[in-house]
Amino acid sequence: MASSSRLPLLRRISKLLKAPPPAPLRSSRRSLALRFLLPQAPTPNVSPWSFASSRSFCSGPLNLPQDSQGPAPIDYRSVLSEDEFHGLANSTIHDLQEKLEEYGDVVELDGFDVDYGNEVLTLKLGALGTYVMNKQTPNRQIWLSSPISGPSRFDWDHNAQAWVYRRTKANLLKLLGSELEQLCGRRIQ
Amino acid sequence: MLRLVAKRLLGTASRDIPSRPLQILPRLYHENVIDHYNNPRNVGSFDKNDPNVGTGLVGAPACGDVMKLQIKIDEESGKIVDACFKTFGCGSAIASSSVATEWVKGKSMDEVLTIKNTEIAKHLSLPPVKLHCSMLAEDAIKAAVKDAEAKRAKMNATLKGADVKSG
Repeated sequence: MASSSRLPLLRRISKLLKAPPPAPLRSSRRSLALRFLLPQAPTPNVSPWSFASSRSFCSGPLNLPQDSQGPAPIDYRSVLSEDEFHGLANSTIHDLQEKLEEYGDVVELDGFDVDYGNEVLTLKLGALGTYVMNKQTPNRQIWLSSPISGPSRFDWDHNAQAWVYRRTKANLLKLLGSELEQLCGRRIQ
Repeated sequence: MLRLVAKRLLGTASRDIPSRPLQILPRLYHENVIDHYNNPRNVGSFDKNDPNVGTGLVGAPACGDVMKLQIKIDEESGKIVDACFKTFGCGSAIASSSVATEWVKGKSMDEVLTIKNTEIAKHLSLPPVKLHCSMLAEDAIKAAVKDAEAKRAKMNATLKGADVKSG
C-alpha cells in the first residue's frame, strides 16, 4: 500500500478535534465522523452525517450535491454502537445467505454459488456476474458490489428498520430482490 | 492468456517485490492496474490555498482508503488544466485515482462530473470487491470540483464587494 499522506492526515484529525466549531451543525457532523475513528461512545441525537466537501472522512454515502438536491438525510435517533451494528448486520447477512441458498436450489443456474467466509458473502451467478457483500464496521455500513448497480453502501435506518443506501434511497433487500429477479427470472422470497 | 499475464507478473515481481512467493491465482490485477501502480501518473500536491486549486479529500484510514485529488483550474476558461493525487490504499484505489487525474485534465468542471465509477472500473477491469475504489475516485473528483467552485464563488463575491467599495 502506498501511504503517502498518513501522518499529516492524523495530525489534521487531532487539530480538528481541538479546533473550535466554526458553525455548530458542521462541527457536530465532523466530530461525529471523528468519534467513529476513535474509540469513544457515540453521542445520541446528532444530525445525520452528511458531510461537506473536502474536509470529509469516512466517505460512505458521501454525495456532495446531496445537501441541496439529493435524497433527504436519514433520521438517526441514535447512532449504532458497534455491538448493535454487528448484531444487525450479521443477522441480515446470515438470513440472506440462507435465502440465497434456497434460491439456488430453485433456480437452475450454471455456476450458481453462495459462499460465506471471513464475514464476506459472495454470490456467484455464473456468467451473469458476482455479488459481494461485507460489513464496513467503522462506517456501520453494509457494502454491496453488484454486477448491475455497481457499488452501494447501506446504512441502518432506524425508522425504516432496514438497510438503506442514502444516495439512491434504495433498500438493500428490495434492491437485491429486484436485481435477482431481473437476472435469473425468478422472484426470491 | 493466463500464461502471458503470469509472465508479466513474474517480471514485475522479480523487479519490485523481491521475496514474495508467486502463486498463479485465478484473480489477477489487470495490466492497466499494474501499469498505474508501477507508473503512477500525476502523483503530487498543489498548494491548497491557491484560489485556482480544488481539493477533494475522501475516505478514511479506518475504512481502508484515503484519496486526495487536486485540480488546477484555468481562471479564464474554467477548464481543468492540471490534476494530481495522493492515495493511501490498495492497488485498485491507487490506480482508480491515477486514472481519475488523467481523465479530468483538459475538461471543464461540468464535464468531469459526468465521469462515472463504472467507467473507471471497466477501464481497470476491477473485480466486484474493488468497485468501491472506483466509486471513491468518482467521489474524489466531485469533491475537488465542489471545492474549486466554492473557491471561485467566494472569490467572485469578494471581488464584487471590492468593486462596490471602490466604485
